[in-house]
Amino acid sequence: MNVKKLIFILVALLLFVMPVLLLLLQSFSSPWRFQSGESFHFQLTSFQVLWPASNLWEATFWSVVVGAGVLLLNMVVGIAAGKALSTLSFKGKPLLEVLFLSPVLIPVLAVAMGLHLFMIQAGLADTVLGVILIHLVPTIPYSIRIFHNSYAQLGNRMLEQPIVLGAAPLQQLFTVELPLMKPAIRSVTFLTIVISLSQYAITSIIGGGRIVTLPMIFFPFLDTANTSVMAAFAVWFAMIPLAMYIIVEGLLLLLPYSRMPWRNTR
Amino acid sequence: MNHTLDVQHLSKQFNHDLILSDLAFQLEKGEILSIVGPSGSGKTTLLRILAGLETPSQGSIHMYGEEITFQKANQRDISLVFQQPLLFPHMTVQENIAYGAKLAGKKNKNKTSDLLKATGLDRFKNYFPSEISGGQQQRVALARAMATEPEIILFDEPFSSLDPKLRHQIRYWVRDFLVDQSITGVFVTHDTEEAMIMGDRLALFHEGSFQQIDEAEVIHKHPANSFVADFLGGHLIVDEQHYVPLKECSLEPFNEQEVRSYHGLLQHITFQNGQAVGHIFLKDLDHQVSLPIHEHVSGEEVTLYIKESSIRTFGGSAL
Repeated sequence: MNVKKLIFILVALLLFVMPVLLLLLQSFSSPWRFQSGESFHFQLTSFQVLWPASNLWEATFWSVVVGAGVLLLNMVVGIAAGKALSTLSFKGKPLLEVLFLSPVLIPVLAVAMGLHLFMIQAGLADTVLGVILIHLVPTIPYSIRIFHNSYAQLGNRMLEQPIVLGAAPLQQLFTVELPLMKPAIRSVTFLTIVISLSQYAITSIIGGGRIVTLPMIFFPFLDTANTSVMAAFAVWFAMIPLAMYIIVEGLLLLLPYSRMPWRNTR
Repeated sequence: MNHTLDVQHLSKQFNHDLILSDLAFQLEKGEILSIVGPSGSGKTTLLRILAGLETPSQGSIHMYGEEITFQKANQRDISLVFQQPLLFPHMTVQENIAYGAKLAGKKNKNKTSDLLKATGLDRFKNYFPSEISGGQQQRVALARAMATEPEIILFDEPFSSLDPKLRHQIRYWVRDFLVDQSITGVFVTHDTEEAMIMGDRLALFHEGSFQQIDEAEVIHKHPANSFVADFLGGHLIVDEQHYVPLKECSLEPFNEQEVRSYHGLLQHITFQNGQAVGHIFLKDLDHQVSLPIHEHVSGEEVTLYIKESSIRTFGGSAL
């Protein structure tokens, strides 16, 4: 094994595997402090405290619904806008690109405050749809950017080839574009779900306390100062993006010309 | 009677640049037309318009009498083979070939396997594009275009990314294949030799229009204008109206009375097909010619002699 590989493994262990492992261990053991002299006590109490909490399941449900909605809209808008930006040429394109990026340049709280008035007028305040829409603000710019790059990498000729062979736009999307953009789809999945899951302020403003997501009940749990319960909550929190990722990965396998990962290619 | 392809008054303008101006030509079933011209003259644009990837500013395209000028590219019975193979990297060779046919719902296992055999790629059918060579990739691209059974296949310099030897082989293979399947083809290239090998007829494209369309031999014997003569080589252009076939030029004086002579500078000697070829720059005409010479020509200064009687006027089979 060469030195580079060794360094990579060491860094990965130190910065990624170890902390996650510690978190997992902590969630299954009683609170433990460095040099306290206590040994490892395996217990499930923290999960037993966590699961019966009435609002946990509701919050999990809403988080998943909001996350899935945000992801779906990000895919649709990101792919459409990304393709348009990379294939069309028109006046004012650079300006439009900046405009597409602007939501992340303006503090999202300011946007949410302004949009709250509109949401009330439109009857979207305190609804899931409203929350999903407001979560688009911090996510969509990244999705557009990712898909724009992805389409640019494919190249216009590669996008014209299926047309010449008789593919209709939707056929082309599913047989060529999506299969070739799998890495981009994976990035967008993780990015949007993680961003959506960590929105506290804008969710509470637009959701008006009716749409309660995980971060909103995360804070009350902080009060307990019980590190085991906190760890259990964090593990639970992390399960959502992971589950979503697995689902998306499963959906990707349904695309035409996909090969099962375990199947030999030849 | 209806032509397979009938193009009339085709024009294309980008901003203020006229890329194609009032272009017209017809193709019969099974005919192969080579379009040859300098790089950047708009040949690719012409193919893209025929394929439906771009719309013309003016003019019409008919196929078997039916207008297809504004038909969408994916509905035209025309296939385009690009300069690069552009195979779909996530599909195997076999899947690539079957792609178009599968979309059209006319998936035919026999057709695909026939094409695999004809391209000599049977052994590689389960390989991915990245696992085969450039020449093989280009053959797959061609087979993929054929599999949809188009009326017309357009080729946009499909061999330019291949090395010369491979190029040589694949040219004849494609030519035979097209003739074999009696597919109508339009073949764009900037290489005159390739154009002559591939096409039944040659179309010389320059400044947005065809300077001459005819069989290679006719064009060589009767170039329509100085551009044609210059592009093909083989002629000494005396002035805008007159030329002399190179084979009637000599470095030895003639015994006739009416002889013209030009002073020239022998710049290089190269060897082609076992024959020494001198590249001579004629200062008076500001023109370089290449003609077979005897190797014992000495010195840099040479004199080129032509008979007055061999000077001809352009306009053989001009359009």
